[in-house]
Amino acid sequence: MPTWIGQAARNGIVTSRYPAEPATDAEVPETARPPIPLRGDAALHDGVARCPVGAISEEELDRGKCIRCARCRPAGFEFRGPVEASTGRRAELRVGSAAPAGPGLVEALPPLVGFPRSLHVFLVDAGSCNACNLEVLALANPLYDSQRLGIFFTSSPRHADVLLVVGIPTPEMAPAVLRAYEALPAPKAVIAAGVCPISGGAFAGTPGLLAGLEELVPVDVFVPGCPPAPVEILDAILRVHGRARTAGGD
Amino acid sequence: MSAVRPSETEPFDPYGPERALAYSPEDATFALFNDYATGRPVLRHGIRIPVPTEVRATWQRSRTPELTRSAGPMETIEGYGIFTFPYGPVSMGVPESGKFEVRTYGERILSLEPVTGFKSRRILTSIAGQPISDGALRIERLAGNFSAAHAAAYLAAAESAAGIEVPEGELWVRALAQELQRIYNHVHVLARLAEAASQNVGAAQTHALAEEMLRIQGSIFGHRWLFGALLPGGPRRHLDAADRRDLGRRLNLHSEQFERLWELFLGSRTFIDRIQATCPVRREEALRWGAVGPTLRACGVAWDDRLRVPVTPYNDLFLELSQESAGDALARMLVRAREVQSSYLLLEQMLDRWPRDPGRLLSPAPPVAPGRGLARVESPSGDLVYDVTASDGRVTRIGMRAASQANIPLFARGLRNGVFTDFHFAWESFGLVFAEIDA
Ligand code: SF4
Ligand code: SF4
Repeated sequence: MPTWIGQAARNGIVTSRYPAEPATDAEVPETARPPIPLRGDAALHDGVARCPVGAISEEELDRGKCIRCARCRPAGFEFRGPVEASTGRRAELRVGSAAPAGPGLVEALPPLVGFPRSLHVFLVDAGSCNACNLEVLALANPLYDSQRLGIFFTSSPRHADVLLVVGIPTPEMAPAVLRAYEALPAPKAVIAAGVCPISGGAFAGTPGLLAGLEELVPVDVFVPGCPPAPVEILDAILRVHGRARTAGGD
Repeated sequence: MSAVRPSETEPFDPYGPERALAYSPEDATFALFNDYATGRPVLRHGIRIPVPTEVRATWQRSRTPELTRSAGPMETIEGYGIFTFPYGPVSMGVPESGKFEVRTYGERILSLEPVTGFKSRRILTSIAGQPISDGALRIERLAGNFSAAHAAAYLAAAESAAGIEVPEGELWVRALAQELQRIYNHVHVLARLAEAASQNVGAAQTHALAEEMLRIQGSIFGHRWLFGALLPGGPRRHLDAADRRDLGRRLNLHSEQFERLWELFLGSRTFIDRIQATCPVRREEALRWGAVGPTLRACGVAWDDRLRVPVTPYNDLFLELSQESAGDALARMLVRAREVQSSYLLLEQMLDRWPRDPGRLLSPAPPVAPGRGLARVESPSGDLVYDVTASDGRVTRIGMRAASQANIPLFARGLRNGVFTDFHFAWESFGLVFAEIDA
C-alpha cells in the first residue's frame, strides 16, 4: 500500500544547497544565466545588431534591459555569468565589455538595517507574464525551500518587510502597487524582480505603460533576468538581508 | 442598436477577408466558438470578453456597430443584506493580479463578476507594424507558462500569412515544446489543488515534479520557460539523436514519478472529496458559453484541437481524447491527469519517430487567404486562436483568443452558490491565467 510518507522517503528530493554552494546548471540553465560580453570578440558587432531590445552596444551590456533571448549568442557573448547579478543601483546593471564580469563585480549590499532574522515577503504582480510569479512561488517548493533561510511569503502587505514586484507596471496596476507599498510598515525594502519592472524588458517603449517600477516607488534591489531563476530571486532577497553570496565568488 | 441575445450565433467564415475575430465597437461582445456539431468555428455575440481599448481602436471595424454589451453570464442580484465585495486585484491568493466583484450576504457566493484588464500590456497592439520575429519575443512573454502554445500558434498564423514554409523538424520541435509545457501546467495545477486542500506532503512532491519539468525544459532548450525556443522559420535548437535519448530517459523517470503521485492522490479521500462537486459546469452551459480545453472535455464534449486541426506532427501520432462527464473540479483534474499520461505517450512517439528528413518544408497552418493566417492550437487550458495579417515580413494586424478568455465566464458561473472556501479549488481547476486574458 503506497503512502505519502513512503513516497517522500523513496523520492529523495534534493533541496538546493544555494547559497551555501554556488547555483548549479540544473538550477540556472545556460541561457537563463546573465550574459557576459567577451572582450575583444570580433563578432560582437553582429551580436549588437541582432539584439531586439537594444541591451548591448560595443561598449557595454545593460542587464536591466537584456531579456536573455540569446539572439546575440553566436557573436561575442557567453551565457555563463554569475547568478548573483542583482544590485542596489540601476547603473550597476550596466557592465562594460572591456571589463567582463568577474569576482567582486557586484558588491553585496550593506544589510538594510532593522529587519529581524526572518523576512516576510509580499508579492505584487504589476503586469507580468506569470513566469516571474511562478519562479517566485517556486521558492516555497521543497527544491528551494526558502523557509530554511527564514524567508516567508505573506498574503498581506501589512505583515511584510519586503515588497517583491514582478511585471511591467501598467497604469491599471500602478495605484494598487502604490497602495501595497504604503501599507508595508517601515523599515521596508522593494525588490524589482525581472527586467519588466526594471526597464520594461520585452515591452519597453510600449505607449501607455510605465517605463519601470522606479517611476512609482523607490527600488532597493534590481534583479535582472526574464524571468530570473528562483535562486537569483533568492539571492536578491538575501541581499536585502546582507546575507547574499558575492558575485563570482565560489 | 439592436440587442443580440447571447445564444445567437453566426457562422464564422475564415475565408472572408475582413471577418475573422472582428471586435465589436462596444466592449468585446463576441466570442469565437466551436460549433461542436459541424466542427466549424462560429461567432457568438453578447458575451463579455475583455479586450484592451487600444486593440479595439486599431482593429478595422468590419462589423457594423449593432452589437450591444449584454450582461453576459453575470447579472446583478439584489436583496436584503446582499453586498458587493471587491476581491483583488492584489492579495487575493491567486498569485496574479485580477479582480472579482462578488455579490454575497456573507458566506455564499451569489454571483461573481471578473474584472479584468489590470495587467494589460498592450501586447497585440504593440506588435502591429513589427517584424514577425520581434513579435514572437512578446508573444512568448504574453503568458509565460503557456509560452509554447502562444508562440506556436502565433508563428503558424504569421508564417502562413507571410507564405513562409517551415522545416518539418521545426514543427516537431514546436509540438514537443507544447507537450512538455502541457505536462508542466497540468502537474502544476495538481500541486496547487493539493496545496489548497492542505495535502502538504503531496503538494510538495508534486511541486517538485513540476520543477523537474522546468529543469528538463531548461536543459533541452536553455530556458526554463522555453522563451526563445521557437523561432520563425526554424528552431534555435535541433534535437539530435543523443538529445532525444537523454530527453526520453528523463521523461521516463518523470512519468514514473507522476504515476506514483497520481495513484496516491486518487487514494486520498480528503483530496477527492474536496474537489468533487466543486464549481460544476454543466454540458449545456459549457456549449452555450464556449468553454474550451479540459473544462469542456470534463463535461462530456469530445473536442481537442490536436485531433481536430490537422497539422504536422499531430496528424501522424496516436492521441486518445480524455473525457469526463461530471463537469466539476474533480472531472477537470481527471481529464488533466489523463492528458499528462497521453502527453508522455505523444512525446515517446515523437522521440521514436523523429522525421528522417527534418528539412522538408511544410505549411504550418491550413491556408486561409493570401496575406492572412489563422492558427488554432490546444494550449494547456484549451483552444487558442491567432489570426495574423502580414505583409513584407511585418505583422499588420493581429487578433488572439486565449483559452482563459473563453473559460472565465464558466468559472464565474460555476462558483455561483458556492462558498468562499471553494474559490481557490475552482480557480486552480480551470487553469486560468490573467496574463493571457489581459494580454
Ligand atoms: S540576450 Fe538578447 S536581449 Fe540580451 S543582449 Fe543578447 S540579444 Fe540582447
Ligand atoms: S521579466 Fe520576463 S518573465 Fe518576468 S514578467 Fe517580464 S516578460 Fe515575464
